[in-house]
Amino acid sequence: MTERTRTIAVVTAGLSQPSSTRMLADRLAEATSARLTEKGIPTEVRIFELRDVALDVMNNMLTGFPSPKLDAVIEAVTGADGLIAVTPIFTTSASGLFKSFFDVIDNRSLTDMPTVIAATAGTARHSLALDYAIRPMFTYLHAVVATTAVFAAAEDWGSGADTVKTLPDRIDRAAGELAALIAASDRSRLRARPVHDRRILQPDRWLPALDLTRSLREWGNARTHRSPR
Amino acid sequence: MQFGIFSVGDLTTDPTTGRTPTEQERIKAILTIAQKVEEVGLDVFALGEHHNPPFVPSSPTTMLGYIAAKTERIILSTATTLITTSDPVKIAEDFAMLQHVADGRVDLTLGRGNTGPVYPWFGQDIRQGIPLALENYALLRRLWTEEFVDWEGQFRTPLQGFQSTPRPLDGVAPFVWHGSIRTPEIAEQAAFYGDGFFANHIFWPASHTAKMVGFYRQRFEHYGHGTAEQAIVGLGGQVFMSKNSQDAVKQFRPYFDNAPVYGHGPSLEEFTSQTPLTVGSPQEVIDRTLGFRDYVGDYQRQLFLMDHAGLPLKTVLEQLDLLGEEVVPVLRREFAKNRPATVPDAPTHASLVAAAAAAATAPVGSPIAVA
Repeated sequence: MTERTRTIAVVTAGLSQPSSTRMLADRLAEATSARLTEKGIPTEVRIFELRDVALDVMNNMLTGFPSPKLDAVIEAVTGADGLIAVTPIFTTSASGLFKSFFDVIDNRSLTDMPTVIAATAGTARHSLALDYAIRPMFTYLHAVVATTAVFAAAEDWGSGADTVKTLPDRIDRAAGELAALIAASDRSRLRARPVHDRRILQPDRWLPALDLTRSLREWGNARTHRSPR
Repeated sequence: MQFGIFSVGDLTTDPTTGRTPTEQERIKAILTIAQKVEEVGLDVFALGEHHNPPFVPSSPTTMLGYIAAKTERIILSTATTLITTSDPVKIAEDFAMLQHVADGRVDLTLGRGNTGPVYPWFGQDIRQGIPLALENYALLRRLWTEEFVDWEGQFRTPLQGFQSTPRPLDGVAPFVWHGSIRTPEIAEQAAFYGDGFFANHIFWPASHTAKMVGFYRQRFEHYGHGTAEQAIVGLGGQVFMSKNSQDAVKQFRPYFDNAPVYGHGPSLEEFTSQTPLTVGSPQEVIDRTLGFRDYVGDYQRQLFLMDHAGLPLKTVLEQLDLLGEEVVPVLRREFAKNRPATVPDAPTHASLVAAAAAAATAPVGSPIAVA
């Protein structure tokens, strides 16, 4: 049996060019792709630099709807089979742009999404931000977050075999976890459109609960008096 | 087809002068604008309901009652009346009263509001927004259609043998539209009762409005009120005009850039391309508005947002002159072309009275024409 192609969406909130955040994202994508290839699963990696839609994200915050450009990114990310989400750590947390992107997408649209989180910063003192700030956000969104989160401090890009666990080791471990989650998941076949659209297109999912006919039975046919004209 | 305007009633500083009107100036301006709507030959004036500054219309039927006395022809409506947090008994009475005062020139659009704290201010829970809209409307209908009502629901004190007063004019309730931007449950509610569906339209992309209206039409047919194309649809629109397109853009831009809803966000050009907002010549407004029909079908009511974002009264009145003289006459003519004869007009008091009379004389068991 031929495996269907799995799409891996990479969301990176790095700002500079070149960006170490993007570099980390690329390494994670390559490693995950390689792991899936080993399992005989073809992959397609799609990389989204949030910088490219930064104004659109803020406009969506203000107007309540995405521009066509941002809409395409949201569709691709929320419809993927797996997500690699990488942010620089700014002032103890994810960058505001990173958080804002996940603020404007529908909060039900990442449910069951196999996800790896990763971050970059100047020093290793910021590494816990992944687990106290970024992991809870994805847990709230009901994404399935791999236990290994990858943090890369500036010095990691120049560290070798004498360190306890090198950056490539950590990337490889996270990629292995994500590949396993993606291989086991079929969520992208279950969802198609943003939630408000889906509710219009698939009313059978909520119409029975609404049951206006019952409302009418209970409220509309109660005993009434005739006017004493 | 009906054309008119809907007013949010915001009290906003004019960004070009830095001047903020007083509450009374703004309220009087709204009353003047409503009379202008009749003068320039439009059909409908609809007023929002808000309970927090910077919005002034907390008591729409008071203002509409005044406008009723000053006008003779236009339909007085709302955009929207808060069915979630207002007591349906008071809505039933206020609008029946307005019907009598206005000789029937009244309908209303029910909505759930856009300000979260209004729920707790009026003792309700925002998480119950949809159940409140459904239950309160069920009671509202009964108060209008039945003389004495026994009632027990989840949200309101029970009623025993309650009769709301005055009774609806000629025994016919005002026509009801249900307004929503993105809640299919509300479209379903409108379809279930065979009421009108009003799509706000102006804050979201047209593709979304098309889906909501399509869903309402399909469900209207499902409930046996007529074919999908006979469903009663209203749309919002938002325009700013000048004879010369570039002048319109130049004049409107500071108001757009500082507007309470979308100000300091997307550019005027982006918002114009992504939503129905049209800033340009009367001909551009005509072309864009005629295009609405391509994605919602032949519809019954088109309301424009004209007075907002701090635009001075003088400018709004000039805009209404352009709308009444140059735009709407062409829209009436063009929308009438190729409109199937089976597509009804929006119900009015007169048509509802006639339908009720026909239903009363129809033999038992015969189908009853609605609206």
